[in-house]
Amino acid sequence: MARGVHLTDHRNKGWFIVTRNGQLVHATGLSRTYTVGRREIPALRGVDFSINRGEFVVLLGPSGAGKTTTLNLVGGLDRPTGGSLSVAGEVVADGSVHAKESRLNALRREHLGFVFAEFHLLPTLSALENVQVPLIWADESGRDRAEALLCRVGLGHRLTHRPDELSGGEMQRVALARALINQPALLLADEPTANLDTNTRDEIFGLLRELSDEGLAILFATHDHELAERGDTVLRLSDGVIVHD
Amino acid sequence: MNWTAIALKNILRRPIRSILTVAGVGVAIAMLFNLLEFQRGYEKGLRSELSDLGAHIMIVPRGCPYEAATIVLHGGKWPRYMDEEWYQIVRGTEGIEASTAIIMDAIIRDGGRENLIYMGIDENYPSLRQSWRYASGDWFSGTQAAILGSSVARSMGVTAGGSITIEEKGRIPATEVTVAGVLERTNSQDDGLVFLPQHTMQQIFGLQGKLVMILVKLADVTQTEQVTAALRSASAEADAGMNIFPLSELLGTLTSLLSSTRVFVLAIVAVAFIIGGVGVLTTILMAVYERTREIGMMKAMGAAKSDIFRLIWLETLFTTIGGGVAGILLALLSGRGVVALLKTILPHTPADFALGMSGSTLAICMGVSVVLGVVAGTWPAWRAASISPITAIRGGSS
Ligand SMILES: Nc1ncnc2c1ncn2[C@@H]1O[C@H](COP(=O)(O)OP(=O)(O)OP(=O)(O)O)[C@@H](O)[C@H]1O
Ligand SMILES: [Mg+2]
Repeated sequence: MARGVHLTDHRNKGWFIVTRNGQLVHATGLSRTYTVGRREIPALRGVDFSINRGEFVVLLGPSGAGKTTTLNLVGGLDRPTGGSLSVAGEVVADGSVHAKESRLNALRREHLGFVFAEFHLLPTLSALENVQVPLIWADESGRDRAEALLCRVGLGHRLTHRPDELSGGEMQRVALARALINQPALLLADEPTANLDTNTRDEIFGLLRELSDEGLAILFATHDHELAERGDTVLRLSDGVIVHD
Repeated sequence: MNWTAIALKNILRRPIRSILTVAGVGVAIAMLFNLLEFQRGYEKGLRSELSDLGAHIMIVPRGCPYEAATIVLHGGKWPRYMDEEWYQIVRGTEGIEASTAIIMDAIIRDGGRENLIYMGIDENYPSLRQSWRYASGDWFSGTQAAILGSSVARSMGVTAGGSITIEEKGRIPATEVTVAGVLERTNSQDDGLVFLPQHTMQQIFGLQGKLVMILVKLADVTQTEQVTAALRSASAEADAGMNIFPLSELLGTLTSLLSSTRVFVLAIVAVAFIIGGVGVLTTILMAVYERTREIGMMKAMGAAKSDIFRLIWLETLFTTIGGGVAGILLALLSGRGVVALLKTILPHTPADFALGMSGSTLAICMGVSVVLGVVAGTWPAWRAASISPITAIRGGSS
């Protein structure tokens, strides 16, 4: 694995956006209740947590526990129905007050990266082009940075391959490089290793561990107990609440 | 990477579907292009033909004016004649600078496949023609003489000094005349005519004392109405069945004859545009649905609504602009065929009538393709922009 590239840039950027109390993410009483017809489904019922810069947080819980819901809220993709949340200095929600969509776009564009169980790569674009996609709306060009990032995730020899010419693990590496192109402070990872075999899972996890050591904060959702021990912090989620042991 | 590159790659993702969509727009644009060029070319051709005639007022025997117009402009057999004396009435009218009387007939050759048109003219005829120049020879040397249009001379293989024989079995006994002159090529109907001295023609064809038409040139064009009125009253007084009409009126008659056809074609073009536009709309909408997850992911990564809107709009615009270019090419390639077709269905088409490529038509066609893209792209682009990233990312697998 190429170790030449360090994510020092985002580290600098990250320092300024840390909230007053030094936390990148701060959630109190965060809740989200879905309404389906007349039924109310409380997916998240008042959770408190915070994430520090460079912290590797594993969000552990069984299916339906509310992991994806939490990540969506932190990522500004969804709005909480209660509680307050601030991410990278932006007040995403405070009670019934919510940040504007344009602010959330900017938040995602500048400070957040996403990886999912599925890779969501554009099939017509090469690995290198896929990594550069978020630069389009950031109005930047960064071919060199994209190439360096692909090398960093161990795909320097697959730059021009299209997704259908890559393995699952390789596709997830491309997706990871794409999530990092805008030098985020926080990576939101929703079971990124769910579709990979154990070896590949460990490789990807190891890579995330390294990135975290270099200063990237990670919120990693999984139901895999084995992985939980390898993070800095474990948030155990069960039925929409955080359980402390 | 930029939006343009992504939009183009998306269009090329389903080449057949994109080609069909582009073709749909292309057909509509080609039809519009041909319609516009036709209108322009037709009016231009007609105008130049009428100005070639060098006359302001045309007098023919009573009859269908369209038929008369066709015969005047292209030459041919005219079933009605007028008395030679009418010419005197015309000449006696005030405000006329020059006038000429004409007799015309055609000899059918090759078992009806070909028509050779003879025109009996007087010494005033050349002065009304703008392009009366001899390639060789000169005006009629005697009574048994002829002047040939350039293409007739070429097809007969004669030059000035040679001779031709006029004959139609059972009607006109063989008569030999000397070729006094051959005209330069004019690209008008003159190229295909054989000119004879008026009296000689009347004798040979058995049309003594008869005329087919009188052309009048005015001293002052603004007096057209007054002179027309004067001619009409003179005709009525003498009880002559003259059909007097100014050529400006003739232009109007011929173009109005076209306008009903034009409305019909315009309706077809409109239908073609609706079909093409709906094709674009459904194709882009389908592409948006297919790419819901992709678009959702872009939004998750921070693309704004306006970014997604722009992407889909660009894809639509590229499709319709592609259709515009394809349509113009199609129109240019099919232009000759269209003209040939029009010549068979329209009552009259100018001699040098062709579909060209004018800047204004190009601009209109490209403008229409852009507008079509803007209109057809709005709804799909809006749909795409409103995709919710969470629902898009959650559903299914890829
Ligand atoms: N859009 C929605 N509408 C209604 N209910 C929802 C919606 N999204 C999630 N839920 C419900 O909220 C609860 C938490 O869902 P969530 O997706 O957060 O779980 P998860 O921990 O990510 O599970 P998994 O490990 O299966 O991905 C579940 O009971 C789920 O059915
Ligand atoms: Mg989940």
